[in-house]
Amino acid sequence: MPDNWSFVAAAYAVAALAFGSYWRWLGKKEREINALRGRNAAGRSTAGRNDAVGNDRASRSQQPSMPGHPRPEPGSKAPIQ
Amino acid sequence: MSTALGWLAVAGLAAGLGMGFGVAPREVTQGSVQRIMYLHVPAVWVAYLAFTAGLVASIVYLARRRPAADRLAHAACEVGTIFLGVNIATGAIWGKPTWGTWWTWDARLTSVAVVFVMFIAYLLLRQAIEDRERAARYAAVLGIVAALNIPLVHFSVYWWRTLHQPPSLLKPGSSTMPPVILAALLVNFAALALLGAYFIARRTRVLAAEEEALA
Amino acid sequence: MAWKDLLVERRSKETLNALLFFSLALLFVFQFALGPDRERLGAVLPGLLWLGFMLSGVLGLGRAFLVERENDCWEGLLLTPGDKSAIYLGKLAGSLALMLVVEALVLALFVVFFNVDLGPALPGLALVIVLGTIGVAAVGTLFAAMTAQVRARELLFPVLLLPVLVPVLLGTVKVTEALLLREPLADVAHWLKLLVAADVVYLAIGLLTFDVILEG
Repeated sequence: MPDNWSFVAAAYAVAALAFGSYWRWLGKKEREINALRGRNAAGRSTAGRNDAVGNDRASRSQQPSMPGHPRPEPGSKAPIQ
Repeated sequence: MSTALGWLAVAGLAAGLGMGFGVAPREVTQGSVQRIMYLHVPAVWVAYLAFTAGLVASIVYLARRRPAADRLAHAACEVGTIFLGVNIATGAIWGKPTWGTWWTWDARLTSVAVVFVMFIAYLLLRQAIEDRERAARYAAVLGIVAALNIPLVHFSVYWWRTLHQPPSLLKPGSSTMPPVILAALLVNFAALALLGAYFIARRTRVLAAEEEALA
Repeated sequence: MAWKDLLVERRSKETLNALLFFSLALLFVFQFALGPDRERLGAVLPGLLWLGFMLSGVLGLGRAFLVERENDCWEGLLLTPGDKSAIYLGKLAGSLALMLVVEALVLALFVVFFNVDLGPALPGLALVIVLGTIGVAAVGTLFAAMTAQVRARELLFPVLLLPVLVPVLLGTVKVTEALLLREPLADVAHWLKLLVAADVVYLAIGLLTFDVILEG
């Protein structure tokens, strides 16, 4: 039976590509969020501006965040992680 | 935590490669192509483990409505889908020299493809619903249906006429693998499991950060 | 209330007609695609039959919540007091009835156009058709509710439904195949058990989680 090393290499390469791409995509997401966070913080620290876009984000980040995912029935709500 | 997992995964992958190419012998009937199995088989095990984690997280979410459970379900199903995709691709690459064809509609390949499409649909559903809370609820239900469907698919596989190798560890009866190959498989499984755990941990962190940043 | 029921009944008749003609069109296409080769046709007949059933099912179920959507009654569903699983069962029963009628008629058409001799296979066939359709309707009703408010619902609903229903499709085709070849039902008992198991799982999940879908 011929050895078909090219297939073995191809298989491992495909896997490396898939996992590597996902790893890079996660990194990209993290960078995006950090950038967004930076802009939020900047917006918060200069409150009172009349700039429409900045104001929206600033006011949104000052609103109390939703207490978890609401449920219709009253009952013991688990603390948010 | 995810960084520690990441380094462990790297170590594991190195060990796995060592086992797969160094320690494990050249298989008699298939030749070196068989070494693809050290990637292909553990990938599907990790995928199914991930989907099980997704199942549990989905149930917990529906019962307790903890956002963390939803994030875990999302991440687990996403990572599981990726590993399944790797399984399918490596399976096709193995199949070409071995069976002479990239794809055959025998039951096993079909069932993995079915599970893959089920969870792609899961990810599509999440994308299609804008309201985060509703997306979480609906995805949880779908995650439960899809995960509980996996054994049904697996069994309808085993009874359908099959061209594929009989499932190596999950079929009734004993496994017929030489121990060193089994060892290599298990080491690679541990390595890929660590990689999967790392990805899930990091993905849940990204999801949490996203929610916080967009709140 | 009566107006809604009237609307529903008219909609069902529309759906019934549409599904029937859809199945007829499928039948014609199958014939043209497969040509006059009788043997090949015989071999694929069970698959064709269930393909027809599945596609009609997807079409019909996709419209399960059409009335509520089009008449802005979705909120009415959400606000219904009490156990929402009654709504699930109601919708399920309605879809089931519709699908079974369509399937019976399609089966009759198959017998006529493809000259199939059902004979002793009929009771077994009835059983497997009921089992299979219950499975399709159970998941389909749940997913129809899930996708009712989604923008891409016409695409997303079949993409969600069809992969999940593969075990049901496999099981029903295998049993139908055996029946048409006059094999004893005992030979395919494992498939029947799988169908029953699937039906139980899908119904249970549907009953337990329909409330969750209708929370909003």
